[in-house]
Amino acid sequence: MNPRVVGANLFVKLLGVYREKTTMFFTLAFPIILILVFGTIFMSQDNAGFHLCVQDLDQTKSSIDSVKELEVNGKFKITRVDPAVSAIQYIKVNKVNLVLVIPKGFEKSLLRRKFFSDYKSSVTITYVYDPSSSSVPTKMEILNGVLAGINQEMTSIPPFLKSAATSILTRKYRFIEYFIPGIIAMSVMTLSLFGTVNLNTELRQKGIIRKLCTTPITHTDWILSDILYQSTIAVVSTITMLLVSYAVYDVKLHLDAWLLAFILLEVFAFVGIGMILTRFVKEAQSAAAAANAISFPMMFLSGSFFPIELMPEFLQKFAKTLPLYYVNEGLRAAMIFEDNQAALHDAAIIGVFAAVVFILGVIATRWEEGQ
Amino acid sequence: MTEKTGYTIEVENLTKRYGDLVAVDDISFTVSTGEVFALLGPNGAGKTTTVEIINTIRTPTSGTVTLLGMDVTKKKLDIVRRIGVLPQGFNSFDRITVRETLQYYSRLFSCRNTDIAGLIELVNLEDKANEQYKNLSGGLRQRLGIAIALVNDPEVVFLDEPTTGLDPRARREVWEVLQGLKQKGKTVFLTTHYMEEAELLADTVAIISKGKIIAMDSPAKLIENTTNYLVLTLLSADDNVIEIIRTMGFEPVLDNDKDIKTRVEHIDDVQKILSALKEAGAFYLGLDVRKPNLEEVFLKLTGAAFHNGHVVEREAV
Ligand SMILES: Nc1ncnc2c1ncn2[C@@H]1O[C@H](COP(=O)(O)OP(=O)(O)OP(=O)(O)O)[C@@H](O)[C@H]1O
Ligand SMILES: [Mg+2]
Repeated sequence: MNPRVVGANLFVKLLGVYREKTTMFFTLAFPIILILVFGTIFMSQDNAGFHLCVQDLDQTKSSIDSVKELEVNGKFKITRVDPAVSAIQYIKVNKVNLVLVIPKGFEKSLLRRKFFSDYKSSVTITYVYDPSSSSVPTKMEILNGVLAGINQEMTSIPPFLKSAATSILTRKYRFIEYFIPGIIAMSVMTLSLFGTVNLNTELRQKGIIRKLCTTPITHTDWILSDILYQSTIAVVSTITMLLVSYAVYDVKLHLDAWLLAFILLEVFAFVGIGMILTRFVKEAQSAAAAANAISFPMMFLSGSFFPIELMPEFLQKFAKTLPLYYVNEGLRAAMIFEDNQAALHDAAIIGVFAAVVFILGVIATRWEEGQ
Repeated sequence: MTEKTGYTIEVENLTKRYGDLVAVDDISFTVSTGEVFALLGPNGAGKTTTVEIINTIRTPTSGTVTLLGMDVTKKKLDIVRRIGVLPQGFNSFDRITVRETLQYYSRLFSCRNTDIAGLIELVNLEDKANEQYKNLSGGLRQRLGIAIALVNDPEVVFLDEPTTGLDPRARREVWEVLQGLKQKGKTVFLTTHYMEEAELLADTVAIISKGKIIAMDSPAKLIENTTNYLVLTLLSADDNVIEIIRTMGFEPVLDNDKDIKTRVEHIDDVQKILSALKEAGAFYLGLDVRKPNLEEVFLKLTGAAFHNGHVVEREAV
């Protein structure tokens, strides 16, 4: 290895991409756009409370307070339905799926129960609903929970069975925070794979590789400079993604050496695959198509965009054969769960894969024609 | 070694096959130290194949090639340090400037004392030193390519069709650079399909056709040995001139749509033709009598047609 030669190559490649402003822009912009688009979708989902229509037939202070209670603590977006209309009619006309009806005499019953301890005093809250709507059961379940809570409070006997939810995370994470490591893994894969394939086929078609054959540069030096170049691009892109997700969505992930380790291992793996592709697919267009054929399924099946638990069993098994899956898992282990054990396990798998593919890539690299 | 034999390049029974196609067919030749050697031939003759086998990019099917005393198939790394190559259809990194490109290649050779400014001056690119490659015209790109081929101060320079696709002026500028190389004492191996180029620059010309070398000598000797006639050219001659000359037993041909060319054995024949034309009152703008050039040598040897100064292989002769 000759550091001067490696450095000269790295310099020329970086200078080229730096001066190629549009390429540079799209290199950095693509993952950012993904983050912004998906981020906006996830954030609105996270914040969206259920919409609820309430018809208060009682119109007393107690009933009005109870509706407010639902709004504030139950996180429902309340629409108040005019007591004069029929709830069934209202559902049909306004195309809503559920109206909660507070009956007349609500306050009276409540006061009797509260102050005269009349345990026979009760009210019936009616759900008027459209059974064809899929979100109704969920809404009713939540409402039942709220109502049970209120009942509980009124009896003032402590419950026997209590439940406590303990998240395995030290902090509550939002979906966007699961998403970012996946996007990082996906972007580094695409950058390295397409970067290697495009650069090498372009240089071959322009005859620059042929010219390089007549210089003392070795394959090792050339490939090493490729790795360094792709690593630089990957790191710059990752930093940009982290900054944008922090600035826009306040995403704070755990950052340590694992992140760098996974990025570098991933670069090795996909530069290796890129080199193998460039060897066997000579035309630039078909090389890009082959790179697409490899990266596209990997993107969707290895859990970059959504958890693989959502997929059928056999696809989950398949996902576990994909290198990108281990980068996704590893990055999440390191950046979200802070689980060094799991990160090490994933790093080992992707590391072995990277080593094998990279060595194959080096062996596959041929510059001379007409062998 | 070079010093022992006096030959920088020795090619013996070189053959290269691509599947069934024999691109180079059992050729042998030598190139002496310090000479300009031109491999002249039409498209597909096997020039690039030959030159790239010599400069270690391709491997021969059979035969041996010795360059600077070393077997090209065994000493690649030692050889490339001592040669400079301008490949056919040379290209460089689009966004990198002339100076940066030369620095880059100089680093690849681990040369610490390359005279970048001197090279830029040698190829007359002083004005364009900070221009990016993509903004250079074809002629400037070729000149940069030649400068790149010189970053390691090579003993042998290989130039594969250095002027193809250039306009006459740009071609002339490249020729000037090449004549400069010769004065510097470099051994130059040139391929071309321009007769004029080979005739002007080369000490030795090897004519290659369909993978075989069909003649090799200095341009003057080639002309002397293969031809024993003169060429009479009548400029912008009347249409009937061709008929008149033909009836006298010569074989006139139309060149450039207006000139008429005729081979004559002796200067007396010129006299006879001119008197005949005078008698017939035929008009012509001017005339030219000269010894044949390489073009005609090539035609005679290969039976190929020529067109605007470079040769095209005739379909079936
Ligand atoms: N890599 C290759 N694989 C298969 N055939 C090839 C290859 N390279 C060259 N050929 C064939 O070998 C023959 C000689 O090609 P070569 O490039 O050496 O000719 P050339 O004299 O350099 O032509 P040109 O003036 O067009 O550059 C041609 O018929 C060409 O099609
Ligand atoms: Mg050629």
